[in-house]
Amino acid sequence: MAAQSPRSSSVSHLSSSGPGLFGRVWTICAKDATQELRRRIAIVAVFFFSATALALVSFAIGPFGLPEEERPALQAALLWIILFFAAATGLPRAFVQEEETGTALALRKTLPATIVVAGKALFNLLLFLAMAAITIPGFVILLDWKVGSPVAIAATVLAGGYGLAVVSTFLSALVARAGQRSVLFVLIAFPLIVPLLLAAIAATLEATRGGFPWNPVRVMIAYDGAATGAAYMLAGAAWEE
Amino acid sequence: MPIISLEAEDLDKSFSGPPVFSGIGFRVEQGLTAVTGRNGSGKTTLLKILAGLLRPSAGRVRILRGGIPLTNSERRLAVGWSSPDLAFYGELTAEENLLFFRRSAGRDASGEEIRGRLSSVGLGEDAAGRRVEEFSSGMAQRLRIAFALLFDPPLLLLDEPMAGLDLEGREMVHRTVAQARRRGAVVLASNDERDFAQPEQRIELGRR
Repeated sequence: MAAQSPRSSSVSHLSSSGPGLFGRVWTICAKDATQELRRRIAIVAVFFFSATALALVSFAIGPFGLPEEERPALQAALLWIILFFAAATGLPRAFVQEEETGTALALRKTLPATIVVAGKALFNLLLFLAMAAITIPGFVILLDWKVGSPVAIAATVLAGGYGLAVVSTFLSALVARAGQRSVLFVLIAFPLIVPLLLAAIAATLEATRGGFPWNPVRVMIAYDGAATGAAYMLAGAAWEE
Repeated sequence: MPIISLEAEDLDKSFSGPPVFSGIGFRVEQGLTAVTGRNGSGKTTLLKILAGLLRPSAGRVRILRGGIPLTNSERRLAVGWSSPDLAFYGELTAEENLLFFRRSAGRDASGEEIRGRLSSVGLGEDAAGRRVEEFSSGMAQRLRIAFALLFDPPLLLLDEPMAGLDLEGREMVHRTVAQARRRGAVVLASNDERDFAQPEQRIELGRR
């Protein structure tokens, strides 16, 4: 029995239909999720880091360690430190794993970099939101965090998580084939992510006090838009040969 | 239907040291092109350049349909490629791997169709449902051949396609190549002369 080889010199694939752009992005996201759920290394590491950091912070400064008026600023900073470092244990793996296991060649052969970056960024965003959905209630309970405006917190986490996911995914593509990629990732990520984290902390502080943080949220949305545009334009140069 | 052709013009490739090869030029339209050469002569590198996975240091590769260059997205699907460097997702089954590549490329495929494709390279129902991390090297090689044929490409690039295969697997590859060269073009790189059956042209690397 011969393998199904080219059936004719006509290019059958040019006329066949299939998933649209979002369907293709979702297929990559679903593949990454399936891999992670079966392997459970990155997911366990992310959630373990989050739980450990939360426990340590609550023991060290807990609800009774600080005067009430000093808590919001520290809590806002601590929340984003926990979210960022927990995410940082998983986010850079997006492309590094593909290079380390040799599957990057099959991806490059089949798909443009923009689709791959979009699919992996979507997975990273969902992973971040899942982690935040577990971490934030723990933060509320263990640190006696009073959330003035839950809607504002949700908007802040969404805008901050989106920016983190896009920038981390793009940087992961950029450093995936470099030596010392972990160090390189941190060195490049630091100046790029700090402005986003500062805006996220400012927004969280304002949301804690009950207002809607329009200005920092606008900054985050502008950052997200710029990050998306840059990732779209540079994805090919970053990941393809 | 217009025939797909590949044109390689004056290709050079070097990494950090001396050039792996230089001045390589040929045209492929239909039939079998054999790429030969000792280890390290650049066969794998040349096929990666033809597949669009590596940039040449100089020269260019054009894939044309009816004399018109294909776009990058058309080219990705019009060229099938297999190499020992090609790896798949170990946590996914063979069927899931091929379904993923079909769907993420924007092409529909049913599980039944994918199982049919796997069966045609000698991976039956049992193998189709097994995780790739459990595959032997021969099974992985069969999966690479199925991957190369996934979009029914008119141009097939096979790098050491017999590697790790048993007699039955080698016969499967011979039949696949025979069928593909009648309908399109096959570029096959190997060290073993037995892998080529009367090629239409031959490119020998490493003789400069």
